[in-house]
Amino acid sequence: MDPQLRQKFEMEALADVCDELNYYQLLKVERGCEQALIDEAYRAEARRLHPDRFNSNPDKNVKVWANKVYRLFQEAWNTLKDPETRAAYDDQLEEGARRLSIKMRREAEAEAAAAANPEHAAKTEKGGKYWKMALQNWHDGEYQGCVMQIQFALNFEPDNETMIEWKEKAENKAAEATEEKAGNAYKLRIV
Amino acid sequence: MGLAVGIDLGTSNSCVAVVLDGQPTVLEDAQGNRTQPSVVAFGHGRSVMVGHRARRQMIYAPQSTVASAKRMIGRRFSSSEVTRVLQTTAYGIVEGEAGDARIEVQGRVLALQEVSAHVLQHMRRIAEEATGQVVDRAVITVPAYFNDNQRQATRDAASIAGLECLRILNEPTAAALAYGIGGGIKQHIVVYDLGGGTFDVSILRIDDDLFEVASTSGDTFLGGDDFDAACADHLLALFKEETGVDLSENRTARLKLRDAAEHAKIALSNVEEVEVHVPGLCQGENDVELDLRVGLSRVDYARIVLPIVQRSFLTCDDALSQAGMTASQMDAVLLVGGMTHYPLVREAVFQYFGQESQAGVNPDEVVALGAAIQAHNLTSASPEMSSAVLLDVTPQSLGVKTAGGFCEILVPRNSQIPTATKKVFHTAADDQVEVRIEVYQGESRMASGNELLGQFILEGLRPAMRGDVKLSIEFDIDADGIVHVRAEDLDSGLARSIHIEASSGLTEEEVTKMGFEQLGF
Repeated sequence: MDPQLRQKFEMEALADVCDELNYYQLLKVERGCEQALIDEAYRAEARRLHPDRFNSNPDKNVKVWANKVYRLFQEAWNTLKDPETRAAYDDQLEEGARRLSIKMRREAEAEAAAAANPEHAAKTEKGGKYWKMALQNWHDGEYQGCVMQIQFALNFEPDNETMIEWKEKAENKAAEATEEKAGNAYKLRIV
Repeated sequence: MGLAVGIDLGTSNSCVAVVLDGQPTVLEDAQGNRTQPSVVAFGHGRSVMVGHRARRQMIYAPQSTVASAKRMIGRRFSSSEVTRVLQTTAYGIVEGEAGDARIEVQGRVLALQEVSAHVLQHMRRIAEEATGQVVDRAVITVPAYFNDNQRQATRDAASIAGLECLRILNEPTAAALAYGIGGGIKQHIVVYDLGGGTFDVSILRIDDDLFEVASTSGDTFLGGDDFDAACADHLLALFKEETGVDLSENRTARLKLRDAAEHAKIALSNVEEVEVHVPGLCQGENDVELDLRVGLSRVDYARIVLPIVQRSFLTCDDALSQAGMTASQMDAVLLVGGMTHYPLVREAVFQYFGQESQAGVNPDEVVALGAAIQAHNLTSASPEMSSAVLLDVTPQSLGVKTAGGFCEILVPRNSQIPTATKKVFHTAADDQVEVRIEVYQGESRMASGNELLGQFILEGLRPAMRGDVKLSIEFDIDADGIVHVRAEDLDSGLARSIHIEASSGLTEEEVTKMGFEQLGF
């Protein structure tokens, strides 16, 4: 294949998935690997990914993709090259966050977005999974299930105000529904 | 498309090179000169001369001949650097509307970007005449320690000259590239770059085709000009001792002494002793012309300039400590810049690093050669694995001003570029509808001690409780070392790209208006 065309396909694919990769995956190393291996990997990948390598590609998109990928790659290196920040990142990785420096941004983003659309209220991956189910339950009128799912989501992010707010809403709805059911039952008894 | 060249735009001299048939080559002018003085002489009307001819005009028309424009480019008029230059020039320096320093010659006020553009244009013409091809793109080198404003101003100079600037490349990095390319070496090297106006030192790790800058440090006001100034001061003191006449307020006499000092410096690199003779230095009593005639030996000269040379080693200490290395760990020492021709400097570098510098590296040409190699790398159509990759760093920390006038660092110095980082800002007061962000570069903890790159205001925020509105600001440093800022209102999701317009810089509109093509230069 024409090398410039190959470059194009490679970078397009990488730019597409790079947001989903954690720092170790970006550097193509194992999580528990030795520090020296990280330095080696950085140099090998920098050779391959540096945007200058794509400067003369006739498709200008390639440079845009390369710039995006390289900045993420650089962020990964900046974090992993220092054993201390690497350890901090490892802790966060346990919690499901892929990027270190933008954790704050993610939280802020989620809070702001939640005001307009509760779908984005979750800040963690696992919390998000249960939150999504909770919203589906709400939509289906399954308020009891909704409360339960939010409770699960809150296990992962106990301070999420939007979730707490919605849990209250769902509890009220669920209580209303129970009252309705109870009322019906009473009526039935009369009949 | 035309040819892409490498231009070393120096404080005192400039050099242009290109890769021809895979071989980096310095391009000569018609007279066979391999470098050109970075001097621009303005004549009556619109006539402009650059290079050797301009340099000759400096003697008889100093008030309309601009040298050392690089020392002031991208600097504020009020900066201490400009104040220092002001004391040694015969042409006028005035304050531009944006607070930038500008040149006043032949009744016209010119931006320094325009002056540098004339030098670039001159180098381009030399390249076109030497190769017979159109030159439209260039990699232009700057001192590694140049800040964002100075880099941006250099880019603007290229635009004015009608050249597409492929890259702003750091001079020591360019030198390392020219030294190490194709050699298959694995070394730690130090580049000691003492030019006409600036001093840079960079530590690099070369692994075959990968050139990784470990650290860089510099002093944008340490160079050959300072040697001359120190020597001129010495001559001035001698003259006063001998004749009782104090020339410190006599501008013309001081310029003559500077010239004499420079000639003495050059002569002393070949001989042990010179006689400095300045006829008609000034008018004494009864209109008698007084001459200066003194002997100056290498030992005298060394005593005068030693404090300046020693300053350069403080910068070397800093670079080594930033890289976490020692002088003895260096595998090679590269000497770059005109000042490293002098035995005095070479000897001092030898003492400090404990080894001879690399022979075969021409201090005047190696930077332009490296720039040409990078221009070739960036434009060559085949992405073969053999082309070199440069991993450079940002020389100064990037930060924003926070409450209390402190500077919060976002990108520390010696971080690899290109790089990007994000920071979330909150509103600090209830119903605050705009946020002002000031971006600084430098190492001081206080913002006021650093260089203001620019400031911007984000307006139209939703009125809310303080801290409720959040803004995410992305700071991006590109491969040129130039800062870009992008702001996103996390509240509305509105994203805005902000080009930091340096408060001392030119607007895009001004650059277009100054364009040479349009003006017929």
